[in-house]
Amino acid sequence: MKTYTYPKSQELFQRAAKVIPCGIYGHLSPAPLIPADAYPFYASRAEGSKFWDVDGNEFIDYMCAYGPMVLGYNYKPVDDAAARQYAQANCVTSPGPVMVELAEKLTDVVSMADWAFFAKNGNDVTTYATMIARKATGRKKIVLIKGGYHGVAPWTQTYGHHGVMEEDGQHTIRIRWNDFEAFKKVVDENPGDVAGFMATPYHHPTFVDNEMPLPGYWDKVQALCNAKGIVLIVDDIRCGFRLDIRGSHEYFGFKPDLVCFCKAIGNGYPISALVGTEALKNDAAKVFYTGSYWFSGAPMAAALKTINEMEAMDAVKMMTDFGENLKKGLIEVAANHGYDLKVTGHPAMPYLRITDDPTLMLHQDWCAECTKRGAFFSSHHNWFVSTAHTQEDQERTLEIADDAFEAIKKNKE
Amino acid sequence: MSRNLVLANLNLYAVLPNLEELVRHDQEMALLIKDWDICIQFSALGGPAAFAEFKNGECTVGRGKHFSPTVKLFFATPGHLNKMFDGKAQPIPLKGFTKLGFLSKEFSKLTDRMEYYLKPSEESLSNPDFVSLNTLMTMHTAGRAVVELAVNDPVASHVSKGMMDGSLLMKVLPDGPAITLNFKNGKAGFQKGETASPMACMLLKDMDTANKLLNQKLDAFSAIAGGEVIIKGQTPMMDAMDLILDRIPHYLDA
Repeated sequence: MKTYTYPKSQELFQRAAKVIPCGIYGHLSPAPLIPADAYPFYASRAEGSKFWDVDGNEFIDYMCAYGPMVLGYNYKPVDDAAARQYAQANCVTSPGPVMVELAEKLTDVVSMADWAFFAKNGNDVTTYATMIARKATGRKKIVLIKGGYHGVAPWTQTYGHHGVMEEDGQHTIRIRWNDFEAFKKVVDENPGDVAGFMATPYHHPTFVDNEMPLPGYWDKVQALCNAKGIVLIVDDIRCGFRLDIRGSHEYFGFKPDLVCFCKAIGNGYPISALVGTEALKNDAAKVFYTGSYWFSGAPMAAALKTINEMEAMDAVKMMTDFGENLKKGLIEVAANHGYDLKVTGHPAMPYLRITDDPTLMLHQDWCAECTKRGAFFSSHHNWFVSTAHTQEDQERTLEIADDAFEAIKKNKE
Repeated sequence: MSRNLVLANLNLYAVLPNLEELVRHDQEMALLIKDWDICIQFSALGGPAAFAEFKNGECTVGRGKHFSPTVKLFFATPGHLNKMFDGKAQPIPLKGFTKLGFLSKEFSKLTDRMEYYLKPSEESLSNPDFVSLNTLMTMHTAGRAVVELAVNDPVASHVSKGMMDGSLLMKVLPDGPAITLNFKNGKAGFQKGETASPMACMLLKDMDTANKLLNQKLDAFSAIAGGEVIIKGQTPMMDAMDLILDRIPHYLDA
């Protein structure tokens, strides 16, 4: 099978490195792509489930822009809705009616939501959620899960990372996932001082297997929060609209007080949302929080259309079915080559790991070989699927996976 | 732990051991110490202690106190020791008064030579032999500094406590030099050379790349993207080590 090279990506990166810190910063940095020279750095165009890099190589995309792409790249109904809104009004002195329509839609679709607030990025709304929890309770502490990701603001990062002070984490307490007793202990040790508990619906850190909640975990967390007046916050930024259109809490059967959305909500248009219960609406109103582009109409129109489309086509079922079949196929291909491929997390956003090598080097080699053959696989992060991924994509992916397993066996010889 | 105490630990446990490689690889220094039979003890009140023993044309630097040093150099405080490493103070000799002339002349030649390698000029970096030894010594200093900082620096110890157990290899391709850092329970151990089963690797394309990276003249992100630096395996270990390495300039370059 032909493998790709990336001379134009490399050339562009060298230019970028002169004028942009890191060349490409943040989660799109080449640093976690191992080895970096097996991966493209720059995309030139995208359509449906695929993107093409600046060297003209075609990829079936299993990262979906790290989550935002849910209906496919250049999905016309959403793009048309955004274009209409751009033509009418986007960033204006007053917000447009579309803001109200989107809030009504979200409170209709998301089961626990009585109100909605819009921003741009996930971290905008996770931070806002902590502020509301503190306003509502008059308390300081926010309980988080070790390894959980809620953005890049100093309070979300741990001490030791550059630019983060010890004091930034003074009022955050991190406990292990699925450890209800640890949460109870924190609440007991900080009487009357825990404002909120924030976690993702299930644990999806990088580099390690993802973990579903243990039976009864969320029920117990919710009960303790309710009993102690602690605001229960779900960071549904990565999972949102991929597990359940009504919010991932419905998938796991509990009711939070605040839910943070981003990524899939707008199929790539820049928008995030915090939704909450009636009990917190007045507190949300009292926290002053805003941004220059948070009222822009086009992303709202895109989000409205995205949610309508996801509802109409039962996007969750489509992605779950595709993910399940892909998972089965890849596990079988791996087994045929004598490898144990473990898949954890939800099928719509699976995390894969070849268990035969605890260093991850074998898994990194395989993901790299797949990418060089046209299936963009990251080795460190959960993948994402979309409603645009097709049966043909899956068949091609399995062929690529098969050839890549052959290649890593040869590389080891 | 105070900054001076951390720095004193770094000076004795990360910088001083470079004498071993210096006399092994620099012919002039090898000749200088060929017939030395002396053990110099360094100890700071309320701080670290280490010795440098020269015998049979080799140097061994050890942690703690030697059972029978020829010369004992005492420092009233860790800061006093650090000033000596900066060439701004003299130690207090407690034993080996007859060797004071040796210390001021012969031994000083050795320490001056070590400084020459560890604080390179642009001109000296155009010499491939110099680059090789500077790279080796800088790599060893960095590796040993990680061990000390992981325990004594508040930021680094916080980072190292969250680090998984396992070995981390840093190697210049194709044939070295290499160092291995073995992490267990948040503490690190330093080992010269390779390990057979690292959990994470940082492979540096060649000596020039390694030298530039270790002397902070190469953007690591660009080098990774360009394939000059290859990282693989449990890269969270690499990220954590990088955070610890970034603490070194807070002490040694300050």
